[in-house]
Amino acid sequence: MATEQSNSQIENKKLVQLEIKKLEKDFDGFKAVNNISLDIYQGEIFALLGASGCGKSTLLRLLAGFEMPTAGDILLNGQSLIGLSPHERPINMMFQSYALFPHMTVEQNIAFGLRYEHLSKVEITRKIDEVLNLVQMAQYAKRKPHQLSGGQQQRVALARSLAKEPKLLLLDEPMGALDKKLRTQMQLEIVDILESVEVTCVMVTHDQEEAMTMASRVGIMDAGVIRQIGQPIEVYEQPNCRMTAEFIGSVNIFEGTLSVDEPDHAQINCPDLPVPIHVAHGVVGSFGMQLAFALRPEKVRVDMEKPANAHNFARGVIEDIAYLGSHSIYHLRLPSGKKVLASVANSDRLVTGDDAPRLTWNDEVYLSWSEKSGVVLSA
Amino acid sequence: MTNPVRPAQFLKSFGRGLVSGIPYFWLLLFFVIPFVIVLKISFAESQIAQPPFTDLTSFADDMLTISLNLFNYIDLYEYDLYLDGYISSVKIAGISTILCLLIGYPIAYAIAKLPPHARNLALMLVILPSWTSFLIRIYAWIGLLKNNGLINNALLGLGLIDEPLVMLHTPIAVYIGIVYAYLPFMILPIYTNLVKHDHTLLEAASDLGATPAAAFFKVTLPLSVSGIVAGSMLVFIPSVGEFVIPELLGGPDTLMIGKLLWSEFFNARNWPGASAVAVVMLIMLIIPITIFQRYQAKDLEAIADD
Repeated sequence: MATEQSNSQIENKKLVQLEIKKLEKDFDGFKAVNNISLDIYQGEIFALLGASGCGKSTLLRLLAGFEMPTAGDILLNGQSLIGLSPHERPINMMFQSYALFPHMTVEQNIAFGLRYEHLSKVEITRKIDEVLNLVQMAQYAKRKPHQLSGGQQQRVALARSLAKEPKLLLLDEPMGALDKKLRTQMQLEIVDILESVEVTCVMVTHDQEEAMTMASRVGIMDAGVIRQIGQPIEVYEQPNCRMTAEFIGSVNIFEGTLSVDEPDHAQINCPDLPVPIHVAHGVVGSFGMQLAFALRPEKVRVDMEKPANAHNFARGVIEDIAYLGSHSIYHLRLPSGKKVLASVANSDRLVTGDDAPRLTWNDEVYLSWSEKSGVVLSA
Repeated sequence: MTNPVRPAQFLKSFGRGLVSGIPYFWLLLFFVIPFVIVLKISFAESQIAQPPFTDLTSFADDMLTISLNLFNYIDLYEYDLYLDGYISSVKIAGISTILCLLIGYPIAYAIAKLPPHARNLALMLVILPSWTSFLIRIYAWIGLLKNNGLINNALLGLGLIDEPLVMLHTPIAVYIGIVYAYLPFMILPIYTNLVKHDHTLLEAASDLGATPAAAFFKVTLPLSVSGIVAGSMLVFIPSVGEFVIPELLGGPDTLMIGKLLWSEFFNARNWPGASAVAVVMLIMLIIPITIFQRYQAKDLEAIADD
């Protein structure tokens, strides 16, 4: 969503703010972070996305200074942060639990970090007002954290982490403690705030929707390494490995062997499908090599009639339909027993009593897709 | 019009009243009634009889006379001994409380920082001495502190001193005794408070630029105030009225109100005078108890808010 505009911003000024070089963190022989190298550009919002235990939080804590790396280097504006304690780093973090000081008012919470900036009282007051206005919490300055709602606490936490104008802002599961409705609203609001102050931000999340909404670039983490880095649209549409394809969104994977490989097209024989898979680009590989073909559910068409194309279709039976309002997920079973998901937009209003023919349980259908719909991955 | 109270409902509300009434009943039986008796005696006159004090009421010539004798209270005011006793008691209890806090806080802090399985062992070690009789533990200090006691013999043996240090029957021995006896009462509430602290608050403080020492004084310490208050009250209140420790370890010049009370009762057999001493002491202690309760209520409120 936010990508189109933010991307062009990054392309314009590709200044590297943070360099992570061959970073490693070992916990009793377990490599939580395994040889990660990553550049973060000035002003971008970078999301580390992964399941719990993939090492994303450890990486964030290494940046904040709560953990010291076993090997590697972290450079902020060209200067190494290794050996610096958290309080010596020009980095601030918004904690998942917000970590607001319960014995201090909103104002005092924000003033906490400013006291170490050698500012005059007037300047401190001005800065508090500035960040509280930024997050629209000025009227709550005298409240204690426990007198605020979850969403308000988050705003204060954000204000506190921005008050010191950090070179790098870290967000740890920023929406983790909010309910779903508030989440969607806060995601866009936080992005607006971060872009208005032009802070470089690294966030950690396990929620792909959150990462894709908020971040200009996403890094998919798994088992201590980053599998893929790219704009949200890239990692979704062009996953570079099965792990990424399966982690982001849902996907149908067809395994098969390469049978035709020309510069402008290729074919894969898949034992689950009656006809070969035809893709509109060459695959640099050898004949007979094992490949995986990833196809997103929303790119699968479901029809009653046999499609006209010679490739990229199969017969199936509707086993289940999950009606999700805006779209429905069809669970289809191929003759081979292979299950395929298809997401179909409910563009017509479904009205009871309407007797237009509609796909339903146990219907025999054809599923098909275009030659540009899927991605070929190494198996 | 009015609903007749059904038996089941009556039993239910009666049962509820019974359960919540038990603490009040306890307070009535073991605090209010004894206090009223003591208060009554404090307004009586001493006499050589059984009981050794006069009645407040007399009925003669169709006249009910209630005579309140304020002499005992005036006495307290006029004799410097009592005033000095109160001041000295509060001073000794206050200094002991501060010493307990200075020793107990680091211990509680260290225990709270231990890995969970080691905490229970450490707490056990704190409580373990209390399994021996209080009196025996105080007697043991006589053996340690006296002129030919363990400490002096050890120091003489090592050649660190030429003649024994006079420790027993000095104010120092009283402080040692009180701090030793009441230290667990300081450690436990502070530990209970510290162990609940959210570690991410310290990380947040550090992230915002505070050194570990600054984070301690600005986050940990203020958040543990309720534990400090609870511990201090648990040490201060019983220390003020302490009798055994000053009697056994203190000297003749160690003035404490508990000792004065004892001698009024048993040496002078002046029950009304002793009662007045007790009443004044109680009123004096109500102030810190009120502070304690206010903090406790605040603490409960904060927990309820979470």
